[in-house]
Amino acid sequence: MSYPGKIDAVSGPLDRSEKPRSPYGRTGDSAQFRRVYDGPTYYGRNTVKPSPFDWKIATYIFVGGLAGAAEIIATLADLDGDPEYADTVRQGRYLALAGTIAGPPLLIAGLHTPSRWFNMLRIFRATSPMSIGSWILTAFGGFATVTAAAHAADDAGWRPRTRFFRKAARLMQIPAAIAGAGMSVYTAALLAATSTPLWAAAPRLLAARFGAAAMAAASAALSLGARRRRRYAAAERLEDFFALATLTEALIARNANTTFREKGVDDALHMPRYRAAYGGGAELLGTAAPLGLYVLNRLSGRRSERLAWAGALAAIAGSAILRLTIMYAGNESARRPESYLAMTQPGRSP
Amino acid sequence: MAIHPRARDFPQSEFLGPIPDESEITAGTRIVPGRSYGFFTDTTRCIGCKACESACKQWNALPADNMALTGDSYDNTGALSASTWRHVSFIEMIGSGDARATEMAPYQSNWLMMSDVCKHCHNAPCLEACPTGALFRTEFDTVVVQQDICNGCGYCVPACPFGVVDLSAVDGKAHKCTLCYDRLKGGLEPACAKACPTDSIQFGEIGDLQESAHRRVEELHARGVSSAYLYGAPGTPGATGDLGHLNAFFLLTQRPEVYNLPPAPTRASRRTAPSLLSGLATVAGLAAAAMVLLRGRA
Ligand code: SF4
Repeated sequence: MSYPGKIDAVSGPLDRSEKPRSPYGRTGDSAQFRRVYDGPTYYGRNTVKPSPFDWKIATYIFVGGLAGAAEIIATLADLDGDPEYADTVRQGRYLALAGTIAGPPLLIAGLHTPSRWFNMLRIFRATSPMSIGSWILTAFGGFATVTAAAHAADDAGWRPRTRFFRKAARLMQIPAAIAGAGMSVYTAALLAATSTPLWAAAPRLLAARFGAAAMAAASAALSLGARRRRRYAAAERLEDFFALATLTEALIARNANTTFREKGVDDALHMPRYRAAYGGGAELLGTAAPLGLYVLNRLSGRRSERLAWAGALAAIAGSAILRLTIMYAGNESARRPESYLAMTQPGRSP
Repeated sequence: MAIHPRARDFPQSEFLGPIPDESEITAGTRIVPGRSYGFFTDTTRCIGCKACESACKQWNALPADNMALTGDSYDNTGALSASTWRHVSFIEMIGSGDARATEMAPYQSNWLMMSDVCKHCHNAPCLEACPTGALFRTEFDTVVVQQDICNGCGYCVPACPFGVVDLSAVDGKAHKCTLCYDRLKGGLEPACAKACPTDSIQFGEIGDLQESAHRRVEELHARGVSSAYLYGAPGTPGATGDLGHLNAFFLLTQRPEVYNLPPAPTRASRRTAPSLLSGLATVAGLAAAAMVLLRGRA
């Protein structure tokens, strides 16, 4: 797209945008990256507004993903039918239930008029991931609760007809797992369907990454659960899958980083605070360390309990840090006109 | 603009109620539900008086904010917010750098001023993001937040590609320009457009406005302002990325970024389906792999 006539490059008051507004600075970072957008800004003021979302929504994204993915893995384990998975199935279903209990309060606390939370259920809007997500959460909450309750009833020995509750749980876990898949990725679509540079720049990769991170965290948690119950065969198989999910996440993250750089939206990720959280937390702790520990464990012949615990805990922590960093660095990217203006250059828009 | 013949029917200086179809007299447009209305903001006519900001605050009973000097030229308003629905930006083109100006382009004293406002997008990302239905499209094709429904989730705030809508810390609801929905219902021209002394802000039916805006661009080109162009009219910068046209559009003479406008904004909701589907595909793929990796001896 071109503008008719002659349009000059503008200098003047716009130079103020070069003044550092944070310890990280705006000009001293040239060694780190090449700024994609170098044109004028309006006194360095943001072009779009950052979201009002904070740690509460980020924590919900982590918890919701963990719960959804736990339901999926519990369902797959149950369908497999190996009695080794008895504890995994129960733990997965209860983890999902715990997520549906913890999620809504976090979301409602994030509202600025919390007493009207139920207005979320007034309509369904297919263009709004927030609306889609409200209904996914409602459905997941219902199915996961029924599944977990039926499981508990069966465990408690309530058997009205031949294993009625066991069959009920087995039936309800299918829609619960499908809603669980929605739980682990819709939050990425929610962030991507905004004008916040870091969230909007790579919509597909963000959702794939959140999905893989959720599957990794849930399988890590369930592998620990299996180890606690001395179900070593189950734990090792869960660890194998956990390694695959983590590898997937790491590969997607690499692609996402390239896209961020190309679209010019990664300024915020280079601030010391977010660089530490993103590189050290989400990437190193969340993917590189668990993968390294897994490989080490496999090479050593007999798997070490300690290495397994360390890897799984690192992945769970990294998964939470990933959501928090994307949340806060995303808000910061919205405050930087260079990021948004880079992303909205003709031909670059996502 | 010539005085409307109906204006002579109202010579008095005090009125007991609104003049019926007053906008016909002040803006040359009768306001009829079902038609599309909007603003054409011609920045080459703006003199930076901020009458629009004041009129907007007064009519909508909006509180003052940021009672301080920003140091950014004459712009002490800063940005659109929950309590500021018109914002005049000031861009000094010369004499503010190190070099002293020796030449001056033949128009507008090289001081750009633009009265910014909600664009009332044809495919409004804020409306499409709203999970409660608080944001809706009115019978005048404008976008309005219903205050009795908004629950302050704040999702419209990052959805807007122009940084317009904002949450109020006072009442915890989202607020923005309503294009004077209440005035339109009463047949009145929006407060900012009525107050604008130079007709930099013009209110009217979208089709009429787009036509006159194109004429204005041609006129400016003929007068030597070859850089004039429209932002937000169909097929122009601003009306990009599935947004459709903007019901509040602008005539600019510099790159959009100079006015803090994105050159090619996009409709946020178009990222929903690709994102959801790729996420679901990833999880489905991993679940399939899990079925193999978790296979027991049984
Ligand atoms: S400019 Fe922003 S607030 Fe106005 S209609 Fe468009 S998306 Fe909504």
